[in-house]
Amino acid sequence: MEVFLNLVISGIMVGSIYALVALGWVLIYKCSGVLNLAMGELTLIGAYVCLSLYTWFVRPIGQPTLAFLLALAGTLVIGACLGLLTERFFLRRMIGEPVLSVIMVTVGLSFFFKGVVEFIWGTDTRVFTPEVFSKKPIPLMGNIYLDSVYLWSFVASIILLIVFVSFFKYTRWGLAMQATADDEMAALSLGVSAKFVYALAWAIAFMAAGVGGTLLGNVNGINISVGYLGLLVLPAVVLGGLNSVPGAIVGGIIIGVLQNLADGYLSQFTPGGVKEVAPLAFMVILLLFKPYGLWGWERIERV
Amino acid sequence: MSSKEPILQLHNIEVKYHEVILVLKGVSIQVPEGEIVALLGANGAGKSTTLKAISGLLKHEDGRVTDGAIEFMGEQIHRKDAEEIAKRGIFQIIEGRRVFEHLTLEENLRVGGHLRGNGRQLRDRLEMVYSYFPRLKEKRNLTAGFASGGEQQMCVIGRALMASPRLMLLDEPSMGLAPLLIKEIFEIIQKLNKEERIPILLVEQNVKLALTVAPYAYVMENGRIVMDGPSDVLRENPDIRDFYLGLTDLGTRKSFRSVKHYKRRKRWLT
Repeated sequence: MEVFLNLVISGIMVGSIYALVALGWVLIYKCSGVLNLAMGELTLIGAYVCLSLYTWFVRPIGQPTLAFLLALAGTLVIGACLGLLTERFFLRRMIGEPVLSVIMVTVGLSFFFKGVVEFIWGTDTRVFTPEVFSKKPIPLMGNIYLDSVYLWSFVASIILLIVFVSFFKYTRWGLAMQATADDEMAALSLGVSAKFVYALAWAIAFMAAGVGGTLLGNVNGINISVGYLGLLVLPAVVLGGLNSVPGAIVGGIIIGVLQNLADGYLSQFTPGGVKEVAPLAFMVILLLFKPYGLWGWERIERV
Repeated sequence: MSSKEPILQLHNIEVKYHEVILVLKGVSIQVPEGEIVALLGANGAGKSTTLKAISGLLKHEDGRVTDGAIEFMGEQIHRKDAEEIAKRGIFQIIEGRRVFEHLTLEENLRVGGHLRGNGRQLRDRLEMVYSYFPRLKEKRNLTAGFASGGEQQMCVIGRALMASPRLMLLDEPSMGLAPLLIKEIFEIIQKLNKEERIPILLVEQNVKLALTVAPYAYVMENGRIVMDGPSDVLRENPDIRDFYLGLTDLGTRKSFRSVKHYKRRKRWLT
């Protein structure tokens, strides 16, 4: 039982990171119908940018926590800028082209970004030095322990999730994004700038992915494989329903828990890799029963 | 044409889709300040295209104004983006009640006020729209996709109204609605025009109705304006009576025997 609870709780913590990245992914899909296959590389870029900023800041500031927070804020800013630039230079000219071509552009972008990352930062695994979070586990109750890395990652993702979701729900531009997702033509007729909406979606995706990559990098160290996060996001969003924001969040958390459970209970029977396969297998099974995912848009039909 | 200064002028515009399909072949229209002008015609005559050419939505469908000019308040707008044209105050209500299905009715209206900023201004505007459409206020939290056809139509008109338009392009507000609802909506449209002084360019298939609300009308066929004049004059025109009002001179229904006659006249009209 304790093992189970331990697995579930740390699963939820990691899952919240997935949820954050999934949220960014869903925003792009909702607004422009584009499956962003470069999401993993966005997390990679975010992670490395944050690492560089952190190593820069930590010496003059001296206090790891403060330096990390600053680095995180810097990652958000740089992420937003990169998102706007990406949209401006690579995706703006694809407006009006078939969605498939745009998806192919994101494939190209993923290779491009990966190349840039390897070019700048190399391929060795890097870790945050000095460590930001102590490795000492925090006792929750009884024999259940939690690494502080996980706890703080969880807190950070939840805060950002709340910020993004309330932006989406309550601000003028958030509303405009939802409107564009629903009916682009009608939104255009009301003076909503589709270009700006797309740019905004990419900026938010970059920010969410960047922070997600950073948090995950704190857990495992950063190398090219952080980018596989992008692959994990896919079952998370499919699970939640491709265009549902709450769905992406719940989906991310479910995938986190599932991965942990599979790792804890099944990996002893296999040569390895259950952790990676389990979410995708679960996705396939779920799709058999709920083809729209948990909260996906079914078309509203009036009778 | 009335003596008032035209707020919108189309000078002989020609529209092509995908650079090859010629849809409008020289259309000239004037909308005077504060008036309703009707644009009539059969399916595929090019009415909606004309509206989209004005609002700039045409570019979104790979169409282009290839010749002529569109002038709004003395400024040429036919090369501008939809967004810029909206900023100048032209709002098109696209046909087919295109509400944002997954937003509530009130959220729909708030998107309409997108260019009007946040805060007080928006709230005042919202109250104003609700005073015209009390039914929307009752159901403000209903998801728009589940609203009835009439409510959706009110929602899209209200949505454009939120933007405090200087010119409204209204595309077939009567489409697929019950006669009573149509009456209600047209009364609101007339009221809007009178009280808010919003000029309206109205596209309508229901010719009889359109001629009663609009003092002046244009008739389109095959991408051309074939006739225009004050509504009273058009209503008495034998061709309009025949082809659009379905009446003979005696005011009785046409017999099928005169189908041949119909074809001959129609060709002449084009």
